[in-house]
Amino acid sequence: ELLCCHPLPMSTFLKRHVKLYTYRACVAKDEMGKMVSVINTVDTSHEDMIHDAQMDYYGTRLATCSSDRSVKIFDVRNGGQILIADLRGHEGPVWQVAWAHPMYGNILASCSYDRKVIIWKEENGTWEKTHEHSGHDSSVNSVCWAPHDYGLILACGSSDGAISLLTYTGEGQWEVKKINNAHTIGCNAVSWAPAVVPGSLLDQPSGQKPNYIKKFASGGCDNLIKLWKEDEDGQWKEEQKLEAHSDWVRDVAWAPSIGLPTSTIASCSQDGRVFIWTCDDASGNTWSPKLLHKFNDVVWHVSWSITANILAVSGGDNKVTLWKESVDGQWVCISDVNKGQGSVSASVTEGQQNEQ
Amino acid sequence: MKLKEVDRTAMQAWSPAQNHPIYLATGTSAQQLDATFSTNASLEIFELDLSDPSLDMKSCATFSSSHRYHKLIWGPYKMDSKGDVSGVLIAGGENGNIILYDPSKIIAGDKEVVIAQNDKHTGPVRALDVNIFQTNLVASGANESEIYIWDLNNFATPMTPGAKTQPPEDISCIAWNRQVQHILASASPSGRATVWDLRKNEPIIKVSDHSNRMHCSGLAWHPDVATQMVLASEDDRLPVVQMWDLRFASSPLRVLENHARGILAIAWSMADPELLLSCGKDAKILCSNPNTGEVLYELPTNTQWCFDIQWCPRNPAVLSAASFDGRVSVYSIMGGSTDGLRQKQVDKLSSSFGNLDPFGTGQPLPPLQIPQQAAQHSVVLPLKKPPKWVRRPVGASFSFGGKLVTFENVKVQSQQGPEQQQQQQHRVLVSQVVTEKEFLSRSDQLQQVVQSQGYIAYCQKKIDASQIEFEKNVWSFLKVNFEDDSRGKYLELLGYRKEDLGKKCIKEEKPESEFLPSARGTFNISISGDIDGLITQALLTGNFESAVDLCLHDNRMADAIILAIAGGQELLAQTQKKYFAKSQSKITRLITAVVMKNWKEIVESCDLKNWREALAAVLTYAKPDEFSALCDLLGTRLESEGDSLLQSQACLCYICAGNVEKLVACWTKAQDGSHPLSLQDLIEKVVILRKAVQLTQASDANAVGVLLAEKMSQYASLLAAQGSIAAALAFLPDNTNQPNIVQLRDRLCRAQGEPAPGHGSPKMPKGRPAPIGGHPQMPRVQTQQYYPHGENPPPPGFIMQGNINPNAAAQLPTSAGHMHSQVPAYPQPQPYQPAQQYSFGTGGSAMYRPQQPVAPPAPNAFPSTPYISSASSYSGQSQLCAAQHQASSPTSSPAAAFPPPPSSGASFQHGGPGAPPSSSAYALPPGTTGPQNGWNDPPALNRVPKKKKMPENFMPPVPITSPIMNPLGDPQSQMLQQQPSAPVPLPSQASFPQPHLPGGQPFHGIQQPLGQTGMPPSFSKPNVEGAPGAPIGNTIQHVQSLPTEKITKKPIPDEHLILKTTFEDLIQRCLSSATDPQTKRKLDDASKRLEFLYDKLREQTLSPTITSGLHNIARSIETRNYSEGLTIHTHIVSTSNFSETSAFMPVLKVVLTQANKLGV
Repeated sequence: ELLCCHPLPMSTFLKRHVKLYTYRACVAKDEMGKMVSVINTVDTSHEDMIHDAQMDYYGTRLATCSSDRSVKIFDVRNGGQILIADLRGHEGPVWQVAWAHPMYGNILASCSYDRKVIIWKEENGTWEKTHEHSGHDSSVNSVCWAPHDYGLILACGSSDGAISLLTYTGEGQWEVKKINNAHTIGCNAVSWAPAVVPGSLLDQPSGQKPNYIKKFASGGCDNLIKLWKEDEDGQWKEEQKLEAHSDWVRDVAWAPSIGLPTSTIASCSQDGRVFIWTCDDASGNTWSPKLLHKFNDVVWHVSWSITANILAVSGGDNKVTLWKESVDGQWVCISDVNKGQGSVSASVTEGQQNEQ
Repeated sequence: MKLKEVDRTAMQAWSPAQNHPIYLATGTSAQQLDATFSTNASLEIFELDLSDPSLDMKSCATFSSSHRYHKLIWGPYKMDSKGDVSGVLIAGGENGNIILYDPSKIIAGDKEVVIAQNDKHTGPVRALDVNIFQTNLVASGANESEIYIWDLNNFATPMTPGAKTQPPEDISCIAWNRQVQHILASASPSGRATVWDLRKNEPIIKVSDHSNRMHCSGLAWHPDVATQMVLASEDDRLPVVQMWDLRFASSPLRVLENHARGILAIAWSMADPELLLSCGKDAKILCSNPNTGEVLYELPTNTQWCFDIQWCPRNPAVLSAASFDGRVSVYSIMGGSTDGLRQKQVDKLSSSFGNLDPFGTGQPLPPLQIPQQAAQHSVVLPLKKPPKWVRRPVGASFSFGGKLVTFENVKVQSQQGPEQQQQQQHRVLVSQVVTEKEFLSRSDQLQQVVQSQGYIAYCQKKIDASQIEFEKNVWSFLKVNFEDDSRGKYLELLGYRKEDLGKKCIKEEKPESEFLPSARGTFNISISGDIDGLITQALLTGNFESAVDLCLHDNRMADAIILAIAGGQELLAQTQKKYFAKSQSKITRLITAVVMKNWKEIVESCDLKNWREALAAVLTYAKPDEFSALCDLLGTRLESEGDSLLQSQACLCYICAGNVEKLVACWTKAQDGSHPLSLQDLIEKVVILRKAVQLTQASDANAVGVLLAEKMSQYASLLAAQGSIAAALAFLPDNTNQPNIVQLRDRLCRAQGEPAPGHGSPKMPKGRPAPIGGHPQMPRVQTQQYYPHGENPPPPGFIMQGNINPNAAAQLPTSAGHMHSQVPAYPQPQPYQPAQQYSFGTGGSAMYRPQQPVAPPAPNAFPSTPYISSASSYSGQSQLCAAQHQASSPTSSPAAAFPPPPSSGASFQHGGPGAPPSSSAYALPPGTTGPQNGWNDPPALNRVPKKKKMPENFMPPVPITSPIMNPLGDPQSQMLQQQPSAPVPLPSQASFPQPHLPGGQPFHGIQQPLGQTGMPPSFSKPNVEGAPGAPIGNTIQHVQSLPTEKITKKPIPDEHLILKTTFEDLIQRCLSSATDPQTKRKLDDASKRLEFLYDKLREQTLSPTITSGLHNIARSIETRNYSEGLTIHTHIVSTSNFSETSAFMPVLKVVLTQANKLGV
């Protein structure tokens, strides 16, 4: 017959095979030795989807945020899970949370679909809203604190295409700078470059404040990664446009500095690709992409380890993979983090199929 | 928010999802005319460029068509993921025709863009859809209930899904099921929808609400749920969207009544099933959730009706709408500010209206105008609920300590019905990521070794496991540090065995001893005129100088040297100089260096190929205080001048030198340090070497250099990244002020679960008070919350325990026998000392520290007068005083103090090990010493091995008075009394050369017992000097002991007389049973040397412990238990002050050993 009369659509059939295959790969890796072992399971009691979970600077407190519009903070020291705060104030799903460096106190920023950014602060053991930023016209998708060397600066990326920068000027005041139309129809992610003094070969006059050049990267729905740099008059200028993705850039992550002159950025996209961008030259103008992997599904999140040698990649198939650069410069998957969740969602899909 | 607009009255089709960039195709709409009444038709392709902020869309291509279109779709047929083929544009025409266009050809500007064309249909083709599973299948619908299934691979002959429905009616919509590929639905304005099963080739269900008011203008299947679909009605009396579930097809599941007038088009988002677009004759574009009926969004539109609406398949936030006012607009549903665009838009609008009104009618078509004016908001709000594609379902983030935080969201679609709603758990998992297993286990091992102190076994394990020769060498060298006689072992490692040399020496000695007796007999003293006669004359008149000159002139070198020895120190020195000037043999430079004790010369100018030999020479000869510096120097040369192979060998030199910082630098240069295991390689060595240095050298081994600190904190970071927080804390240097280390320490402590800030007053259980607040290098502490303890977090670890007080750290077991030099009391460990000073030939000054925080009393304690007097009175003291003077002069110029440079930089090679037995002592005839002006090799101390080796044949100078000899006295206060009130000018530096090594690490040669730290370094030192160039003590001692008897002596106290009688009796017994002359000589010598003991007994200057020990030895001699005697001997030596016992204890040992051997 002309029509393929297989009871299942081909794509579903294929998907299953792919899953089986990846599962097998996963088992093989587990036999090699467990690289990832769960040491704490925190039941957040969120009433809806969790969208972000971040540890503080010390790795002792966990902040989570959810579509249930709440932000929660847990003390997770020694494998425990004590709810410290349940922060209400957003009127929409909360997408991301970000801890400020502890030298400024215990400060957490959250951003939401309600177009707001809220900065929470712990005072005398109680968490309270200390500032609310409502300068965006659409969902605020990403918040990221600048390196602590610069002071308290928060970058916020929004679906209105703008990026705003909040700088604490003291006495509860925040100064706002806005980059309009940074990414048409939306900025999905912002990530600061580590604090590096330019031309560290040249001696800085001792006693003076180091002359940092502030930079951050953003990714958006225009499929672009953009690098922004603050010029001498404190204005933010687009410094670079990194083009390689063919769909929305879902996340960008500037790798922590480990003392090498190379700058590294990881980006992931709706197109399933993860790129590692590196820049070796001092001027910071020549970035070259290297494809880490092309996944079969959207890649939502990339995160560097503190030592910048491992990249955690979170995919739409609910799989987390860990990647490491080998000696010859190739990126290799060193571990699948099996959360037992992929199989659940697979069975749901199959259940739907069986209904037919 | 509107993103783009194009002035076309057109049907539209987005490029398929695979296609990048995104295109929008427009085809002139049939049955519509704008105010120009133009009947031209065209097919155009625009690119959606979102990086261009303007409202314009970039037109890629225009194709003038003879057709106008009722429907336009863009299928991904034959498209690959690379997008090389851009699919196929399928158009439904006015006259039953279906035309296939090649979009890539249109974009390329080709004339022939039509792939195929078929006019099998009757009437306008209003319905078209591509099967998403088999993209070569296209369904079409037209008048007379005509439905065809086209295979693009075989376009000529379409199929039908079954028998035509009766009565014949127009097909307005057609749609393939989104889940099951053989299911198709069609709908007609009459309000009926039919579902076809292509496997059965017949309609399987008909859907109708029997109201007769449903005029189907839109049909769409649920993107996820196979049995659900929506129908939209064009009828103003029933402007609804009906949601049907085929499992219950008798009435609609839900009816969405959000439009005031008939709905013209719908579009269901493939990216989020909760988003259904509808546009109607009420001029609204709504986005509603068909699963709940809720309106999520109303697009800000102009006042015109839209007749076509499409989601962009690739960019889920983008949609396009075609309106009757002749415009295709592209919107985003994510809201946003139009500030940047608005002005352009307004300009554009006004100009558009201008163009739209060429005849000045002032208005477009009246029916399209609705009274309600849409307000222009500069801010466009997004959807009420976030679309699915922005709801991040997954995320794994790293945090400190190698932890990975992931969250779980089990996604269950609520539209599956209440019975399927699951109890969801929203959990966060914290995982430990360990990627460097080997690294961690090796780090564990290292920690255990440090705790258990099993260094030797550890080194041995490393040696056994080493694959590379170099690695083996490094570990062998490290191991030696923990063994007795480390220098000897170093030599062995370099390939020089002392025992071997000893055997060779003995062999050569034999004929000599046989020769000696034959020299007896009479001889003739000739005073003839020949050279012999002249020499004889000179000798007879005591003119050694002339005699030596004559011998030299006659090239009788041996005679010259022998005579020069008899002629005194100065003559000997001159003679040596002359000899070296004359001699040209291959090993002259080595001999020169050996005799002059100028090891620096060897180290500085040897061929680097001979670094082993140079190191061997240094190991053999160098005194402890200069030893490290020489090793350093050699290492530095290897590092800077050598090839890569030699560079790595520099590490061995640094290990000998105990120079941790340089080892780190050298290693880092030679190895690729990026990998954790290579860092582990380094840290293992560093930790072991530091331990060795701590055991054998003074306290400042705790000081951490910049580079080492950096490496250690790197190491700690790596450990932390693998989750080993405690280990990281243990390895982190705690006596450094570097901000990054202080911060890392704070972070590690907190990560370990120490109290977090904000939870009451923080307590640091094991804390060492070290206020952080006052730290000058802390990076801007702006608020009090940061590091609020005011304390340095505790170092729970075992190494790197910094010790601020060096005296406290000097408590390490010390063998008094090594105490020929003293550490001054005042040095503070300064992590970075700019320069290191050490002197050749002088014993005491290496301890000088230019950065003493407190001015010590010692420098001023030697004014010129006492200096001179002491120099003339006590042979040894002068040098020590000189050393002190140097020490007091921190500004001494390295250049001025440098010894005469070697004649050239040319390297020399020596033939091999020419080292004499190492632990020999040198004595000097009294009265011949004094400041050796300009001479680089003043009388030297006996060289003492770094550890646990007693020098043998040791002999103190004779005229010693008790205040100086008694190390426990208080010479400092005496000297202070002599101090003049005014500062005394320092003696010229030139007199006492003090070479400087740039960039060296400070070192402490030898520790001193705690009780003596208050003393100036020189006074507890034995006053031992050797004649320059004296190769072995024995040959000189005969000369040296002559004048001693002339001094009137007190009697030995009665209680100690037994010692003398016992020892002398023993020697006599040995002499009588000894056969070979060598032994006899030794015993004779011993007998004489024991006089020093008796002198001390007379003076009663020995400490009670020593005398009681000596009595114990005497008792064991009486019982003939010599081995016990030797044990006691060892005990005395190891527990007493070296300077107290060094004059006689070695001799006593010789006697005991001989007695044991001879069995007397």
